[in-house]
Amino acid sequence: MMLGPATRRDWLWNVGGGLGGIALAQMLGQGELLAATGTDRPRADLNGGLHHRAKVRRVVQLFLNGGVSQMDTFDHKPELTKRHGEVFDPGEKVEAVTSAPGRLMKSPFEFKQHGESGRWVSSVLPNLAGCVDDMAFLMALTSRTNVHGPASYLMNSGFLTPGFPCLGAWISYGLGALGDNLPTFVVLPDPKGLPYNAKGNFSAGFLPMTHQGTIIDAGAPEPIPDLFPSPSAKFLTPEAEREGLGRLASMNRRFAARNEGDSRLESRIESYELAARMQLGAPEALAIASESEATRRLYGLEEPATADFGRRCLLARRLLERGVRFVQVWSGAGGPSNNWDNHSDIPKELPTIARSVDKPAAALLKDLKARGLLEDTLVLWSTEFGRMPFTQGATGRDHNGGTSVAWLAGAGVKAGSALGESDPWSWRAASAASTGYDLHATILHLLGIDHEKLAVRHDGIDRRLTDVHGHVIREILA
Amino acid sequence: MRPTRSSRAILLAIVWFCLVVLSPALAAEDESGRDFFEAKIRPVLIERCYSCHSVESSKSKGGLKLDSRPGVREGGDSGPAVVPGRPDESLLLKAIEQGGDIEPMPPKGKLPEPVIADFRRWIERGAADPRDVPTRPGSTLEDRWALRPIVKPKVPVEGRDRARNPIDSFIYKRLSEKRLEPAPEADRRTLIRRLTFDLLGLPPTPEEVDAFLADPALEAYERLVDRLLASPHYGERRARRWMDLAHFAETHGHDQDRIRPNAWPYRDYLIESFNRDKPYARFVQEQVAADVLFPDDPVSVVGLGFLAAGPWDESSLRDIREDSIDRQVGYYLDRDDMVATVMSTFVSSTVHCARCHDHKFDPITQPEYYGLQAVFAGVGRADRTYDPDPAVHKLRLDLSTRRKALRDKDPALMGTLLSPEIQDEVNSWESSIRATLVRWTVLDASELKSASGTTFEKQPDLSILAGGQRPAEETYTIAASTDLAGITAVRLELIPDDRLPSRGPGRNENGNLHLTEFEVLAAPRSAPGESKSVPIARAVADHDQAGWGIAGALDKNHGTAWGIFPEVGRPHEGIFEFQDAVGHEGGTTLTFVLRQTFPVNHPIGRFRLSVTTAPKPVRLGSPGGPLAGLLDIPPDRRTVEQKRELAAIYLAETLDRKLAELPPSRVVYAAAGDFKPDGSHRPPGGPRPVFVLKRGDIRQPGAAAIPGALGCVGVKFDVSNQADEGARRAALARWLVDPGNKLTWRSIVNRAWLDHFGRGLVDTPNDFGRMGSPPSHPELLDWLASTFLEDGGSLKRLHRLIVTSATYRQSSRHDPKGASIDAENRLLWRMNRTRLDAESIRDAVLMVSGRLDVTMGGPSVRHFALGPGVHVTPTVDYSKFDWDAPGAGRRGVYRFLFRTLPDPFMDVFDAADASQLTPARNASITPLQALAMLNDPFILRQSEHFARRLEALGGDPESRVRAAFTLALGRPASHDEARDWAEYASRFGTVNFCRMLLNSSEFLFVN
Repeated sequence: MMLGPATRRDWLWNVGGGLGGIALAQMLGQGELLAATGTDRPRADLNGGLHHRAKVRRVVQLFLNGGVSQMDTFDHKPELTKRHGEVFDPGEKVEAVTSAPGRLMKSPFEFKQHGESGRWVSSVLPNLAGCVDDMAFLMALTSRTNVHGPASYLMNSGFLTPGFPCLGAWISYGLGALGDNLPTFVVLPDPKGLPYNAKGNFSAGFLPMTHQGTIIDAGAPEPIPDLFPSPSAKFLTPEAEREGLGRLASMNRRFAARNEGDSRLESRIESYELAARMQLGAPEALAIASESEATRRLYGLEEPATADFGRRCLLARRLLERGVRFVQVWSGAGGPSNNWDNHSDIPKELPTIARSVDKPAAALLKDLKARGLLEDTLVLWSTEFGRMPFTQGATGRDHNGGTSVAWLAGAGVKAGSALGESDPWSWRAASAASTGYDLHATILHLLGIDHEKLAVRHDGIDRRLTDVHGHVIREILA
Repeated sequence: MRPTRSSRAILLAIVWFCLVVLSPALAAEDESGRDFFEAKIRPVLIERCYSCHSVESSKSKGGLKLDSRPGVREGGDSGPAVVPGRPDESLLLKAIEQGGDIEPMPPKGKLPEPVIADFRRWIERGAADPRDVPTRPGSTLEDRWALRPIVKPKVPVEGRDRARNPIDSFIYKRLSEKRLEPAPEADRRTLIRRLTFDLLGLPPTPEEVDAFLADPALEAYERLVDRLLASPHYGERRARRWMDLAHFAETHGHDQDRIRPNAWPYRDYLIESFNRDKPYARFVQEQVAADVLFPDDPVSVVGLGFLAAGPWDESSLRDIREDSIDRQVGYYLDRDDMVATVMSTFVSSTVHCARCHDHKFDPITQPEYYGLQAVFAGVGRADRTYDPDPAVHKLRLDLSTRRKALRDKDPALMGTLLSPEIQDEVNSWESSIRATLVRWTVLDASELKSASGTTFEKQPDLSILAGGQRPAEETYTIAASTDLAGITAVRLELIPDDRLPSRGPGRNENGNLHLTEFEVLAAPRSAPGESKSVPIARAVADHDQAGWGIAGALDKNHGTAWGIFPEVGRPHEGIFEFQDAVGHEGGTTLTFVLRQTFPVNHPIGRFRLSVTTAPKPVRLGSPGGPLAGLLDIPPDRRTVEQKRELAAIYLAETLDRKLAELPPSRVVYAAAGDFKPDGSHRPPGGPRPVFVLKRGDIRQPGAAAIPGALGCVGVKFDVSNQADEGARRAALARWLVDPGNKLTWRSIVNRAWLDHFGRGLVDTPNDFGRMGSPPSHPELLDWLASTFLEDGGSLKRLHRLIVTSATYRQSSRHDPKGASIDAENRLLWRMNRTRLDAESIRDAVLMVSGRLDVTMGGPSVRHFALGPGVHVTPTVDYSKFDWDAPGAGRRGVYRFLFRTLPDPFMDVFDAADASQLTPARNASITPLQALAMLNDPFILRQSEHFARRLEALGGDPESRVRAAFTLALGRPASHDEARDWAEYASRFGTVNFCRMLLNSSEFLFVN
């Protein structure tokens, strides 16, 4: 793909898109250049959407890494309970990717109906169970693969193979940031480790690098690399910095003047001013200590089991409040354990990981709602695939691309709704199945983007997040 | 190891399952029109008819062509082959029904009845045939500029006075059409900085700048070009660009992002190929089929690193079940990466767009796409060994061929064993080994016990073969009785066996084993209850794995063990000497306990125990088994069979020794038809079956794909033997470099142009199809392509031609008229100003700071601290790297490339993402770059080195500032600049000034 040299205009859009971008561009006398661009830009009359009116301005995605066992969380299967211990014979070939299929296994957890919507939720998610009336469920979400790597790529970038831009990168590319002192797309990985595919999941692919996810490692001494110089560089002083940057700006201005007609040289000067704004904005956003005692309790910061995920959910809310467009919060590291990839022991492994996210995730929903942010924020719960109704080993479950559960909540979403149904064993989708493409199309739709129009030519193909697939899932939209 | 017959049978069974069981159900969804044709008709036409009835078949029999709708409808000499809706009037149907009237087809046998029924049904229902439906507006040959033959155009007459070479005339012609003027020549300072960065990726030194400024020669510039093209840094620069095209990295990518320790030789291969100016045709062929085409140049196989450069899905291709659909998907996606890499890089074709359907815009069919997959159906990505020295390569090939013949008891070889020459050698060998012989008595085990379920099978030579499910932890207990007294030592022989993974002698997939602890007990035969432990004084082995010496089996430590990796597939021995001689009057029962519990999964596969009474120290290397027996027979009493057997043992030993004496092979991660299996990642053992997948869906396989390339290019794809995977790749390699392959030659000259101007004549360097952009200067492109081809494909001369043009030497100055008429400078009314790429920024900083280390080649430098990850992918911390560590100052091309954990500093400057093909880099400007240039530990540390370098020059702050400007910017500081920065440096120190200078736009841009 040839995007051509970055221009001042692109750059402003990338870092200060939306209304702010327009204002800034006009202020700088660049307004006329807007008309010259070929691609769609956010429109104020569409509430910042590109193609139609946006209902959602920002998105937070909770990505449960490893494949959440749907029949042990949200997909209640009485038939499975009845047939517990039987040989699984659905009448066609049964295949599991890492094991020989065992016998049918009922969920070891108790299911109850919750809320006015009466959604079934198992006992491992008691807090989220209290929020079902805010959620819209996709009860039969399928994947094209049963392998973590390709499946994680699929749910992030819409392709089974690496090298494609992920959802956050596309959103950044299409809409830019809401503010100008924080990155557009932020990733909060599990401190235990990066997910499957590591940073491949946050990649900008062939889009400009500026759209890739900025990782904030909230617990690290340096949460954003290179935001500040290392204290070991003793020669740096605030005065040397201030004075030096001033002289650097003049030198760069003289260079731009000597080489007129090159907007990139002006963008460089601007980039230092924006960098300075980020240095001010980011530490303030990360300062969760300033939150009230009640808030900290709400997110479970005082309990060891929930402290980490709670801190990151709270941080996500602070980032959204401050103009970050897309925040992705990961639960679980890549690998065979300490995540949702419960191959060996569902009764033991699942409650632990579920507990770590249940209270914080519910807190995030309640908090966003209380602050009015849910009016234009979308909250997502998703994973790469589901798990098998039969055992792997004694009490584990293998990967299952056949069906899984995701939910959405917030702006534009039909609260308390559910679409689709899996078969009696929760082995495969049975009716109203949806795909990751559909989910992506729906998210973009809520952001005011037609998923078929947000495309970039790369290696001969107009590439989009949804490849050649995807339908907006209107059944779950308000 | 080749896959067994049964594993191929499983594969075929899967394929059959897909074809027969799955497709009818799925096809039922949509049995009309195009889909029916694609599923039922086209595959049969391709497979059974095209060889005689297509445009590509040398002469269509009977004038009938069945590879397009008009061909089918108009028919051949006998009339229309198909009349839609009227099967009984359709000659094609009559021919395949073979009912008389007409020559029966296919000539070599009748099609199956269901297939014939399909044809009838197809014709009844209108004979839908989408193969030429005019859904591609303008897709005529005229429109497809890239497929037109390359005709060397006449050089235009425009601007003859100013043109330095024909390139300029083509450029001036277009400029004058728009009434634009080229820019004047840039000054010499600008030129040398531009040229040095462009050709070497480094800034010129102040001395080089001064020398160039002072050179009075008329051809000073050309001499500079020649000097730079001769620099070894030239190859490093070009190689890095090529690595972008190949999406080269040194880890697998995906969720199991494992390190490939042997990927780097491909990078060195590139550097050397460019520096030696390897002819392009040769360069291309080596990267696709060096092993087949250039067997006498063994080092060229390193070029096959190209096919393996991209990501590899270890989970799907090694770890999940082999019989799963996901494994099959994995194979298709893996080959897709190879196809896309080869076709995008060499012919700028987006053939991968035809995976789910015929290419929507270019004349590429879906069967052609799968035909290309079939070309790579017989290779996997793996470590492959090679001998750089052709003599060694030949010798190893010869020795291992004979060794194999011996193992297979090849009759021709066995026939030579009784020849007087060989028997003479055997005799002198026999006398030499007799001198040092230790007599071993093989023990015949009376009891074999296993702690974890291993089964034992005693072999004719009294060795023991372990079998059954391989347990993680195992302990063998073996008892045997002997009449010997004064036993000084026991020997444990490890014996390779074809029934073991990697030929053993261990049971791990890699053939290794681990003996955690070895214990011997002795008891009088008459009183087995009185068994006592026998203290072992010393142990020796013929081979100890690094870090896993045989002492580990004696130290009572269950966290150490003996191993033999990587010397698997060969016999080994360990000798355990007793502290005191053992042996009871009336016989002794010896019990051996072989504990194999750490590391897990490494039990022994085949072994044998013997004892000796030889004095200590007991030497290694004495024969056992058949040899010992044969030597016991006096030479004159040996039968012919025994003589032959002894000669065979001699020959085996001699060949093994000679093989062992060869210099070690080298290893490169590359495409390979044969390689050491790793789990279920096994050599395919010949081409895997590839099918034309309907809609790209694994569950809807169509006809078997036929290896081939793109028909639209008009170059014959000539494969000598379809069944030979190497022949398939060789055919593609030859197809690619055929002088008639318009795409290849246009593609590479466009890439050369892009390298120098920041933009190709064709703006989509990986797409010369209809969705790509047409060339800005088509005649120039063709002139360059034909000149390059005529010139033997010399890239150095091509680069020289381009950079010595007046067009390249123009200033990058602004011109309002040019900007208003041609804002993007497609017509080149000036030179483009470029932002340095990531590697150039890094290398330039190092050069300026005085820390550039110009060492070439070898394993990559890891700019990170490596730690264990949760699973396969390790943790990688770039911030923990010590920038004063050895190798830290080496050029960017030598840094280790981690696919899913790339270097954030390089990332921020748009370094290529090795998960995808990068024909051209982006050059963005972002605030994260400002933060990186200000605060990254690399920059801070180099600022300090830069300052120290300046301070070492002595002088006052102003003279240091002046020196810094010439080093970093290649120009003297102005009076004001020198004064301002000197004042700053005096107040805050030189290092603060250095940091700011590295942040200047002037440092990061090239005019």
